[in-house]
Amino acid sequence: MIEIGLGHYLTLGAVIFSLGTLGIFLNRKNVIVILMSVELILLAVNINLVSFSIYLQDISGQIFTMLILTVAAAEAAIGLAIIVAYYRNKGSIRVEEIDEMKG
Amino acid sequence: MFFDFLLEYLSIAIFLFIALALSIGFIAVNFAFSPKNPDPEKLSAYECGFEAFDSARSEFDVRFYLVAILFIIFDLEIAFLFPWSVSLGNIGLLGFYSMMIFLFILTIGFIYEWKKGALEWE
Amino acid sequence: MLAIKFLIPEIFLSISIFSLLMIGVFIKNSFEIIYRLSLFVIILIILIILSGDSESIKIFSESFTIDRFSLYSKILILISTFFVLLMSKKYIVDIKNNKFEYPIIILLSILGMFIMVSSNDLILFYMGLELQSLALYILASIDRDNIKSSEAGVKYFVLSALSSGLLLYGCSLIYGFTGSTNFEEIANSKDFNVGTIFGMVFILVGLAFKVSAVPFHMWTPDVYQGSPTSVTSFFSVVPKAAGIAIFIKFMYLPFRDVLNQWQYILVFMSIASMILGAVAAIGQTNIKRLMAYSSIGHIGYAIAGIAAGTENGFKSTLIYISIYIVMNIGAFACILLMKRDGKYVEEIEELSGVSKNHPMMSFGLLIILFSLAGIPPLAGFFAKFYIFMAVIESEMYTLAIIGLVTTVLSAFYYIRIIKIMYFDEPKKPFEKFVDYKIHGPIVLSCVLLVSFFIYPSILNEIVSNISIF
Repeated sequence: MIEIGLGHYLTLGAVIFSLGTLGIFLNRKNVIVILMSVELILLAVNINLVSFSIYLQDISGQIFTMLILTVAAAEAAIGLAIIVAYYRNKGSIRVEEIDEMKG
Repeated sequence: MFFDFLLEYLSIAIFLFIALALSIGFIAVNFAFSPKNPDPEKLSAYECGFEAFDSARSEFDVRFYLVAILFIIFDLEIAFLFPWSVSLGNIGLLGFYSMMIFLFILTIGFIYEWKKGALEWE
Repeated sequence: MLAIKFLIPEIFLSISIFSLLMIGVFIKNSFEIIYRLSLFVIILIILIILSGDSESIKIFSESFTIDRFSLYSKILILISTFFVLLMSKKYIVDIKNNKFEYPIIILLSILGMFIMVSSNDLILFYMGLELQSLALYILASIDRDNIKSSEAGVKYFVLSALSSGLLLYGCSLIYGFTGSTNFEEIANSKDFNVGTIFGMVFILVGLAFKVSAVPFHMWTPDVYQGSPTSVTSFFSVVPKAAGIAIFIKFMYLPFRDVLNQWQYILVFMSIASMILGAVAAIGQTNIKRLMAYSSIGHIGYAIAGIAAGTENGFKSTLIYISIYIVMNIGAFACILLMKRDGKYVEEIEELSGVSKNHPMMSFGLLIILFSLAGIPPLAGFFAKFYIFMAVIESEMYTLAIIGLVTTVLSAFYYIRIIKIMYFDEPKKPFEKFVDYKIHGPIVLSCVLLVSFFIYPSILNEIVSNISIF
């Protein structure tokens, strides 16, 4: 009756991916939330890759996933460092206030 | 059919049940048998014997973040070391030396952050 | 193990990065020595690449290609980085940003670009792209005590991370529906279904972000304005060359059989970039912002060449991007000369009447701006000429006509700067100094742009040997 197949995993991946994208565009409060949304997007990709890898009986999808996990951590570290540097200058990380430059 | 599918998760369900029962049981026993004679000193927020200085939900030192950031990177080498170590027999010398190069690069980064003083608290 | 010998440039680059990092951290005040050593490393790698043979070869289970295309892109990246580093020395010392990490991070981003332009596999491509972008995030916010620089860093980080995510989602779909991460095998999988097309569109969006093509250009003006000028000159040149190279590779290798699917997307991006680049730049007062819109417009022309979908198309794009690099290096070298009373100025009106006090500099900027506008017989004209030839060959007349119209439109704001320089009231002169590191690139760029018409087919002859197929 319930057979969890590739389609379900892909749907889950697509839902998480859309949540992450929406999180970036709809969020008006905190840059950290954007960072978390980026992580969500990358995790959605990982779900996709792992389920494809099982479905295709091909290992390279899982290798890709490991690399993405590492890169995501490095990206989060650099992102946090930039946000800390920004906070020291501005004293706030509210998204609406990131508007020194316009035009 | 549906039942069979759920049956695969039976052991997890039992595990969850036992865990839940045990933890609720301990809390309940504690509530039932512990002595209760409150006074104002006991109920106040504890801060090394002093009155609370300010709200517990204040900002804390940014250096915790920095240490956490540095930790993430070194934490993740494990993600590569585990698969490498279980498959070491199959990947030969090339695999062995690839990991050595990887660890060497990590060490370079570690020396850099050490010399830069990123690991010092003061 | 034989494959290692084809990797010598990359291996040499990584070893030098590690050694430079160690030298820098163990010696006090090491900016000067690291700066010189990294220039030396770049020259050495150019020599290594030029002295090696240029046969096409695929190594590491066909995931890494060395061919004329990748070698050409690498040389382009190296030469432009060399000049950008050379001319930004005085600026970074003046704004007290002479940290020894600066050249090292630039070298790291070049390493990422090397891996990216050589990759023949989605995984390797992604690793190279991320190495490049991570280094660029740091570069954008390198002046960390300056609020504009750190804000540029935040903006660039957020949007670029988002675009990497989109691109990666596309990669996962492509992998799932074609069953491979190898470019050749993706191209050979005959059943391009809806999933693959979706994946391709996501990858296109990600790439468009990286080269700042409309409608994914919104980060460009802010990041260009906020970053230190030395970093802006790097941004406007080197990642653009690498991004366009990998753009070409994606369109002509894995997706070559679905030309009819991506052609219209590219035509749209190209038209939109050309129009926005021409229109939005008119009202700008900050010269770095203006250069940002100008680069968006130029990327539009470069994409028009790719959109032609023919061999001549991508070759004209390679020619275009090479000439674009020469022009932009010259333009930014001039911007780096705009220093008055110990402070660097960025407003266009500061240039007013500059020809009275600095006739040579304004004449150089005049040549470069005319070339950017595409006025014959300067090199910028030939660059556009090749693009339009390729586009007309593929019978895309609308694209060609819109391109011509926007060329005329964009000439307006370039010539407005010239008018300000030559006919407005002179202001206080800029600081006078002669630094061959800045004046050299300006002179070289002007000479190249002016003398290009003597032998205009030289780039054509170099590029004609390149093929990706």
